[in-house]
Amino acid sequence: MKKGLNGLLIMLAFVLVLAGCGKSTTTTDTSQGSDSGSAPAEETAGPVTVKHKRGELKLDKPAERVVTLEWTYTEDVVALGVQPVGNADNANYKVWVTSEAALDDSVTDIGTRSEPNLEAIAALKPDLIIANADNNTAVYDQLNAIAPTIEYDPYDGDGYDYDKMTEIFNNIATALGKEDKAKEVLSNLDQHYVEAKEKLAAAGKENFNFALTQAFTYQNAVSLRMFTDNSVVIGTLDKIGLVNDWQPDKVENYGFSTVGIESLTDVKDSNFIYITQPDDDVFGTAMKDNSVWNGLNFVKEKRTYQLDSTTWTFGGPISSKVLVDGVVEAITK
Amino acid sequence: MSSVQGSKPAMNWRTISIYGGGLTALIVLFFVSLCYGEASIPLHVVWDALTGRQDSLEHNMVWDLRMPRTVIGILAGGALAVAGALLQTITRNPLAASDTLGINAGAYFVVVLGAIAFPGLLSQSPFIFAALGGLLAAFAAYFMGGGRTSSPVRLALSGMIVSMVLGSFTSALHIFFSMETQGLFLWGSGTLVQNDWSGVFYALPWVVGITLLALILSRQWDMLELDESTASSLGQKVTLARAVGLILAVLLAAVIVSVIGPIGFVGLVAPHLVRLSGVRSNRLLLPGVFIWGAALLVGADVLAKMVHNSSMELPTGAVMAIIGAPWLIWLVLTRMKAANGSGMSTSMSTGGAARRFAFGPMAVLFSVITVVLILLSTMFGGMRIPLADWLPSLFQSDGLFSALIQLRIPRTLVAAGAGAALAISGVLIQMAVRNPLADASIVGVSSGAGLGAMMVIILWPGLPIYLLPIAAIIGAAIAAVVVFSLAWKKGLNPSAVVLLGIAMSAIAGAGIQILIVRGAVYGSSGYIWLTGSTYARTWEQVRVIGLFLVILVPVAWWLARRFELLVFDDNSASGLGLGVRRTRLLAMTVGVLLAAGAVACVGTVGFIGLIAPHMVRLLTGNKLRRSMFLSALAGAVMLVLADTIGRTVMAPTEIPSGILIAIIGTPYFLYLMYRSNWRKSV
Repeated sequence: MKKGLNGLLIMLAFVLVLAGCGKSTTTTDTSQGSDSGSAPAEETAGPVTVKHKRGELKLDKPAERVVTLEWTYTEDVVALGVQPVGNADNANYKVWVTSEAALDDSVTDIGTRSEPNLEAIAALKPDLIIANADNNTAVYDQLNAIAPTIEYDPYDGDGYDYDKMTEIFNNIATALGKEDKAKEVLSNLDQHYVEAKEKLAAAGKENFNFALTQAFTYQNAVSLRMFTDNSVVIGTLDKIGLVNDWQPDKVENYGFSTVGIESLTDVKDSNFIYITQPDDDVFGTAMKDNSVWNGLNFVKEKRTYQLDSTTWTFGGPISSKVLVDGVVEAITK
Repeated sequence: MSSVQGSKPAMNWRTISIYGGGLTALIVLFFVSLCYGEASIPLHVVWDALTGRQDSLEHNMVWDLRMPRTVIGILAGGALAVAGALLQTITRNPLAASDTLGINAGAYFVVVLGAIAFPGLLSQSPFIFAALGGLLAAFAAYFMGGGRTSSPVRLALSGMIVSMVLGSFTSALHIFFSMETQGLFLWGSGTLVQNDWSGVFYALPWVVGITLLALILSRQWDMLELDESTASSLGQKVTLARAVGLILAVLLAAVIVSVIGPIGFVGLVAPHLVRLSGVRSNRLLLPGVFIWGAALLVGADVLAKMVHNSSMELPTGAVMAIIGAPWLIWLVLTRMKAANGSGMSTSMSTGGAARRFAFGPMAVLFSVITVVLILLSTMFGGMRIPLADWLPSLFQSDGLFSALIQLRIPRTLVAAGAGAALAISGVLIQMAVRNPLADASIVGVSSGAGLGAMMVIILWPGLPIYLLPIAAIIGAAIAAVVVFSLAWKKGLNPSAVVLLGIAMSAIAGAGIQILIVRGAVYGSSGYIWLTGSTYARTWEQVRVIGLFLVILVPVAWWLARRFELLVFDDNSASGLGLGVRRTRLLAMTVGVLLAAGAVACVGTVGFIGLIAPHMVRLLTGNKLRRSMFLSALAGAVMLVLADTIGRTVMAPTEIPSGILIAIIGTPYFLYLMYRSNWRKSV
């Protein structure tokens, strides 16, 4: 049993790191979150009703002190121009999530995403907690006793796709009284897609075929997360006219298939876009001299494109923008 | 020196069949393993690749991805099997292997430690770290198990416990240093996946060299199988041969652990498989063992590939445990006759006649400590509540401090209740099997409960939470029924019970891994729950554990009285007939149920059922009911302490209580084990 436990713990360590891995980085657009607190004119002040997984939540007034237990929601909140008072695992957020959705130093760390520290959350006296059904559903009642809690489940059977991303984003905007800001963010994003498409067209890369992966070393071997059509990243790239070639036989709830190098033969003629971590550069080092890797057409023909390590693949609008910027830059270079 | 074995063993038909069968199996599995992978490559293409490699994608895949994996499987299986055979010979112990003696766990622990402390040095020479760790663990197991006077069971048990201790230390390292350990060393459950040939090239010279050396020295190992008096007349030679054998075995295991991680049971099973054919001489035994070990591991790996889902692959180590654990059971049932009743088990006392303190004052002292600690525990956490604010906050219903206390009270009570339940369960199980080194986790009951509860969490995540304790009870009951019905014919012989329990734990652990792979659940609270967590427990769990205690403790109390009336060992009690056996069975049942209740509430926390009764026995002697009362309080104190520390020291990150219990409790337990041997040998 102990042996099993070790395995579990290790897997746990792995899960903690990777369940949330993905990220994207860009370095423009610095001060999204700097205007938190100071109420812009658009803000509604009256009671609001928010839809979430467990029905509807009524708040007397829009929430101001928000605690987020999953980075997707943290990013949504930041995109709305608000900094949460508490976030799960700040250190890894910085590693994985783009600096365009940066956290202020004032944001308190409330522990891991899988076991957020209830005491630390209570100490912040939040007026809204945004929880993730995947990790936090067992503690929902306790969270709700601390502060009104809304819960979302991005992975309730068919993946966290683009529509679900915008739906959750809009709901969170309602809770914060930032619906106008949300509209603005989303329409800016659509405008951004139009511009990106133009850039692609100018470079002759319309209808660009691709496979997108996030790769890492697991159990000392290369492991690849190949994203599927029901993921937010593929949904985003679809908006700029790119065509995903990774089509698995079954629906992947998390929006990706985890495979080894062998499976890349299925997409060997495609264009290969990948995200790796600086300290785990699987294609640079582990695969450099591998005959299978080097035999894939996209490697032979130098059609591999690396994105920044902080390209977050499970994010919200900011991550979508960063992903589009990164991909357009990489393939038109 | 050459006359010891007497004859050149004849190459009889059984020998030929064991070699032929092994080689055939290995060759078939070799091809199956090459044919099986993510990309589908037809058999004839695999054959083309083998006979005439071309620079095609398929051929490259066969040669540079699948072949290294298969070859490392052959090397690892063979090496672990040879190590097991050597260890079984030098310790004259049919249960010895690099995993049962803690060598794998030791090697792995030091490698992970090296990854944190000396990352540069480690990447250059992981082997040195692994060898050092393996050797230290082997010595620890040997001395804790009683050194020369150790019985086979005792040595295996001590090795298992050393493994558990080191395993929990490794887990702790992963938690405390997640950043340093995450990318580097995540192969803790044993997998053969290879990126390229580098692992093979690294292991090959060592495995071949050491195996050949072991073969050249085969007559020395033959000598070690002589009976004690003949061997002792050879004196020094025997000691030297033992030492050399141990070093060779540790080196073999260490090189394998540093490539593929700790994999168990190969070294235990393969030698017995070959010995079944009647092969005795090590010159014939070792090559046969190598072949069968290789076939076993490659076979396990093929099965592991089949359980693969789109998210992850089943660790080969888990499949090996499912193949290997029944063998351990078989060994216990058939090969343990000679070892029955040896070593431990004659007395409940490991510390001999210890200091005795009067029960009355002790009871008062323990009660006061428990109550004070529970109250103190509500003061500490991510935020400390000052004494001045503490008392008022207890009775207020709003304000920050009272909110914190509202969160802390239920989890503290759950910890106290589960700790008490585990301790009482330990006392009962120890009574039942007359074995001071038994508790729910050692006899496999905790793992069974864990598997049952995990099935609810993973297979039917929508089910209501009250089914968790029920599933845990069912799992625990099945594990207990299997273990005890197998051990029944041996009169519930303590040694048999413990070893069957270890086998059961291995099977349940592998089952949990399969569930996780098949369920593909990320970030599930199930993972953390399994490590023994008091995180976010609510009044709901307080009620569950309270219910278990209210119903079962009076029964336990009555049983303890009954045991006090019965004479202790079976020989003198046999006149009382079935009464003894029935009472023991009942104690067993109640102990199992209590443990299941605790597992349902806090996950698989180990060791409390072992440590608490020991501590108490040391203080007050063997009066059962007194011991039970004090043990319950001691168990409660331990888990409350673990809970408090776990939520305080690394706040806001929590440390699972189960890991803290292992870290706090096992050194004490090892000390007790050592002490009892020392006293016995004087």
